[in-house]
Amino acid sequence: MGKLILAASLGLTCLLSTATVALAEAPGTEDPNNWPQYNRTSNAWRYSPLDQINKDNVSKLSVAWIAQGGDITMGIQETPLAIDGVIYSITSGNRVAALDAKTGQEVWNYQPKLDPLTKKVLFSPYSRGVAVGDGKVFIGTVDGRGIALDQKTGKEIWQVQLTDFANCHGCNFTSPPVVAGDMLTFGSTAGELATQGKIFGVEAKSGKKVWEFNTIKDDPKSWPGTSGKYGGGGAWMPGTYDAETNTVFYGTGNPGKDFINEDRQGDNLYTDSIVALDPKTGNLKWYRQEIKQDVWDYDSAYEVLLFKKDGKDLIVHMNKSGYVFVLDKNDGSIENIWPVSDLKNFVKDIDKRTGELIGRVELPMNQETLICPSTFGGRSWNAGAYNPNTGLWYNNVLDFCGYLKPVAQKDDPKDYGTGHIGASDFGRLVMAPDGRKPGRLDARDPFTGERKWTHEMDMPGFAGVLTTGGGLVFNGDPTGILRAFDADTGKVLWSFNTGSGMRSGIISYAVAGEQYILVPSGWGSYAAILLPALFPQLEKMPAASTLIAFKLPK
Amino acid sequence: MMYKLVLMTIACIFVGDAAYPQENVPNLKDPTMIAAGHDLFLQKQCSRCHGEGGKGGINLARRALDPRGVFQAIADGRMGSGLRMPASRDVLTDEEIWKATAYVMSISQQPK
Ligand code: HEC
Repeated sequence: MGKLILAASLGLTCLLSTATVALAEAPGTEDPNNWPQYNRTSNAWRYSPLDQINKDNVSKLSVAWIAQGGDITMGIQETPLAIDGVIYSITSGNRVAALDAKTGQEVWNYQPKLDPLTKKVLFSPYSRGVAVGDGKVFIGTVDGRGIALDQKTGKEIWQVQLTDFANCHGCNFTSPPVVAGDMLTFGSTAGELATQGKIFGVEAKSGKKVWEFNTIKDDPKSWPGTSGKYGGGGAWMPGTYDAETNTVFYGTGNPGKDFINEDRQGDNLYTDSIVALDPKTGNLKWYRQEIKQDVWDYDSAYEVLLFKKDGKDLIVHMNKSGYVFVLDKNDGSIENIWPVSDLKNFVKDIDKRTGELIGRVELPMNQETLICPSTFGGRSWNAGAYNPNTGLWYNNVLDFCGYLKPVAQKDDPKDYGTGHIGASDFGRLVMAPDGRKPGRLDARDPFTGERKWTHEMDMPGFAGVLTTGGGLVFNGDPTGILRAFDADTGKVLWSFNTGSGMRSGIISYAVAGEQYILVPSGWGSYAAILLPALFPQLEKMPAASTLIAFKLPK
Repeated sequence: MMYKLVLMTIACIFVGDAAYPQENVPNLKDPTMIAAGHDLFLQKQCSRCHGEGGKGGINLARRALDPRGVFQAIADGRMGSGLRMPASRDVLTDEEIWKATAYVMSISQQPK
């Protein structure tokens, strides 16, 4: 990765001004000016070491530029990238744009012609980001293609159809590939779609598909009878590439049929798991399943963080259930497991040593069962952020529940608009029975879960968190309010109304000696469709697809 | 003069009817059709975005809808207000779409 990014930046030196602003290089904080991949660094911390914007001056932040992403369908869900003075952005309909990071001016744009079937499928037409490496910008499309563009011009270099989109329910991409050395890995959507979710290995240079990893294990013990045929799984968020061990780590999606486990009385591997793959071959090095035989829609798709602690290489990973798994990076063995919230009733607990689900709650057919957290999870897919200076991991927590009611549903793999869910909905959302606030921003030790501070909210956060070397945490909410917090205390230092709700990743970068905070704003996604039932004020929230760049006045 | 105007009006009505032949809209008030529409609403998971009774998520009961608009929304999908509803043409038959329409009309605000 390092090498690829370097090669890419050399090609762009004309755009480089001698920047910043920061800090000696520490592990995981290389290229302080840039945000070169989805979670910024290969440890997936979402930490920017830039410190020009700090606790003392954050209240002076002002708008430097605004850029519109075009089509607003399903809002804006991406984490943009910033490399050597250029922003790489993807918006609805897989429209990709390169923008001048100082002015927001568009340098080029590209939009693939999408298969009309994308109008019928469930998870479309949004994307969570692009990847950059080898002088190219890579995207995964909502019709199942991988596409490489010239980083300087936006011209298409290659494209490859990775899935049999027309015949395969949910075989598309809503996230960018991972650049893993000279390979790319793409994770398909799957989950509650009638398919077997795959991860694909592709040559970055040529687009040649080299391998496929099936997240549904071919094993009758894990999947009795034909239950694995539409087992779901998949990997709908970007994985983490670890150059040190040449491994790509992915969290996988939930098993299908969602909510009903009658036919799949096994572990249902490798759903709801972390899989460690060799990016050259797709060979499985190890896996750790977090939720066995899931009936609550608790995907493991979220970001995989890497740490070195007391001579150990660790993974910290949150499952949608709200349980955080601390694992040995080299074999996936369990170091610790802790919950982000005590509002959980799908199990009594998860055994901290063995990972066993203790006292799991099954869902009887045709009747409602109250399950906490809801199918939105103990946190949404939008990543948290870890700050090495405070040693704290900042995460939005969703403290509300849902009534799940499994009912018999017919399978029809051609029925693109219907989920492979044994229910007629994703649960009737309700507030927590104990009357607590529905959301918080928590600052915790990532290994023990010990909480340093919390910020309670009437409107929970559904966007990614950013933390910086300036001792700040940035977080946005569905009503469009962006807040800057003191990373040590949780005190709100600044806020700004962005005009539409936030569902994407806030980043920071520097160009020409100035630090920017770049904030995507534009309400959309399934949250926008489903949440008004619980938060009526969201019913009228206008959608948008906007990038807003903030900096300090000169 | 009078005679001509009347003629024109008749012509207009005729054109309107020719574009949307009345007989193609089935009887949406038929209770068995409404019930079948509700089954479909659950089976095809319209309820996923609209709630089991059409009143959760995107609330359909608060909208004033007309049958042809509903048919078209179901057939071609909707991209209103930045949100998106998948298209169902070829996924559902016209007959099924009319059933779903009958159910939606039964819960929506009828125009006065
Ligand atoms: C993925 C979510 C989703 C699913 C599934 C879905 N809808 Fe919708 N539906 C929407 C959204 C979003 C809108 C509103 C767009 C807007 O604000 O105009 C909508 C609007 C509608 C409307 C109102 C159209 C109008 O003119 O105002 C009707 C009627 C409707 N849906 C019926 C259905 C039926 C019947 C089904 C099942 C076949 C269905 N929907 C499935 C999301 C969905």
